[in-house]
Amino acid sequence: MKGPWYRVQSALAAILTYLWSGWGAIASLLLFCALWEWGAQLNGPLVLPGPQATLAQLWHMLDSGLAQPELIISTRRTLQGLGASLLIGSALGLLAGRSLTAAMLSRPLITLLLGMPPIAWLVLAMLWFGMGDTTPVFTVFIACFPIVFAGAMQGARTLDNQLRRVAQAYRLPWRMQLTDLYLPHVMSYLIPAWITALGTSWKVVVMAELLSTTDGVGAALAVSRSQLDTASSLAWVVAVLALLLAAEYLLLEPLKRRVERWRLETEQ
Amino acid sequence: MSWQARLEALLQCGYRPFFLLSAASACCLMLFWLTLLNGWINWQPPGGMVLWHVHELLFGFAGAAIAGFLLTAVPEFTETANLPRTVLVRLALLWLLARVLYLLSPFWPASLALLPVALVNLLFWLLLLWHLLPRLWQHAGRMHLSFAWVVASLALLQLASLLANSLGGDPMAWLRAASGVLMMLIVIATRRISVNLVNGLIEEGRPGAPPPINSYLPRPPRSYLALFCIGLCSAVELWLGHNSITGWTALAAAAAMLNVLNDWHIGRALFTRWALLLYAGYWLIALGYAAMGASWLGAPLTTSAGRHLLTSGAAALSILAVMAVVGRIHAGLWLDRRPWLPLCALGLIIAAVLRALAGVPGLPIRALFSAAGLVWAGCFVAYLVAARGGLIAPRADGKTGCAAPLEHNAREGGC
Repeated sequence: MKGPWYRVQSALAAILTYLWSGWGAIASLLLFCALWEWGAQLNGPLVLPGPQATLAQLWHMLDSGLAQPELIISTRRTLQGLGASLLIGSALGLLAGRSLTAAMLSRPLITLLLGMPPIAWLVLAMLWFGMGDTTPVFTVFIACFPIVFAGAMQGARTLDNQLRRVAQAYRLPWRMQLTDLYLPHVMSYLIPAWITALGTSWKVVVMAELLSTTDGVGAALAVSRSQLDTASSLAWVVAVLALLLAAEYLLLEPLKRRVERWRLETEQ
Repeated sequence: MSWQARLEALLQCGYRPFFLLSAASACCLMLFWLTLLNGWINWQPPGGMVLWHVHELLFGFAGAAIAGFLLTAVPEFTETANLPRTVLVRLALLWLLARVLYLLSPFWPASLALLPVALVNLLFWLLLLWHLLPRLWQHAGRMHLSFAWVVASLALLQLASLLANSLGGDPMAWLRAASGVLMMLIVIATRRISVNLVNGLIEEGRPGAPPPINSYLPRPPRSYLALFCIGLCSAVELWLGHNSITGWTALAAAAAMLNVLNDWHIGRALFTRWALLLYAGYWLIALGYAAMGASWLGAPLTTSAGRHLLTSGAAALSILAVMAVVGRIHAGLWLDRRPWLPLCALGLIIAAVLRALAGVPGLPIRALFSAAGLVWAGCFVAYLVAARGGLIAPRADGKTGCAAPLEHNAREGGC
């Protein structure tokens, strides 16, 4: 019997191993910084400030307390829109996947929604909801919804019926069926869809804020653009990308590895 | 034992003469450098003292170690015969001549500059490639051909450096690129050795040895990323010199080396002296590139501090580890368990850190230089004393050449 201390040790080792595995990604980002610096030296700081100047500007913005309120506002809007699309999109997609008729009905609609440019949704949202919080939240929701819905539906459609029959024949408890049969399979479709939706949500929220609100990162970007302050603009972009990377690699990627452990075990 | 018997033993396997020359040159070159640095001797070679110091430690000390390793490892990796003694003698004489010519360079006409040194060094590398390249090329899959590219790169960079000195260019720029290629060679070579060493395959058959494990498996993409980043950093440095673009590539090289360490985090198996020796070498490469990157991006320390973590730290430590392993197994002896080896490894790390600290403004540079140099040279004196049996004594197990110990039943590879 393995005690709690052993479990704590194993968990710590797993966290450290996971964090250490990020060095490859850091190397890749640093190579990108070299490329960025090269572009900056070719074009001059007015057109493209280098990574050092941008990071210094971001540090200054954080130090002076200018960045945090805007980042919190944008994060809240992103989480609201994304959270709603993850919940509703996953649930409806799974339901649609369980029925061939519902899948047939929803497939053209999803194609339609996926093809609709987010800027068109934004214009409609501005007409419907005005210049407030609801506009960016709705635009994020509607831009992410079809991505999540399509992933969830595909996951539910491809469930192995034979495995389900085996589970029923052996009278597996519903909880075990859910956690050991349905969830691992569905999650392998859902997680990539969630990651794509996460990336989309940040892009859309910044765009929506730029055009429809007076606060948030998008609005701050609009101000820095009007002042021809390229360093601040890039600093805002870097801040958003840092949040995006943190959300993906500290939240979704560990979740993905956890639910996809069975793949590794099967390969071994 | 007669001199003839000792000479016979010395030429039994490719590593023997060159590891001896490498360790002996490490002590002599470093002590001579310290006397020059402290102004006790007035000796001004063409291009200056610093060029001589860097050139000789890279192509004298490390060059001999590389030759010794390749002359032993390539026949083993490619399953071909050992090189004849006459080849070893020719190579060793060329290596010695190159060192002597550099020492005599202040005494010949200035118009000749370092051209004779360049010519003899080039001959040394060409002769080495002449004997190794066909074996590497003809081996199935050409999986060890990277060794030939590295040797050819080192030869070209050395030639470029000595020619630059004669033609009014910057010879140090080419030597700095050569130090990058040396780091790439360390990654390539230690990857091959470490599988057998860390998993305990190298001592399979030793009475009382623990059974081999298979927990350590170096993932090629990680090493390739590290090799790419190091190569890119060297190329950018050669092109742009002290520039923030070079700084970012150096930081990328540091991160890529830390990424390689993912392969090494395998629990208890890491905590053996052999695994830790190579592991510490990788850490020093990462720290060296991180320090150089920080310096290029404006941190208050000299690039030389980071560079010495690479050369006097990582390179020297890896060379000591390889010499200690290859020099035992191919002499028919099991690995050395005496305390001199971890003490020397610690000494090399301390020497590298002391030398790196000399690059921090405000610290006593001269004292740090001298302390680092003395500790560093002392480690190789200790190697010569402790490992002389595997270098100049005949094999005691009745086998000949470079064969592994009698009971060794390891599969393909060895070291």
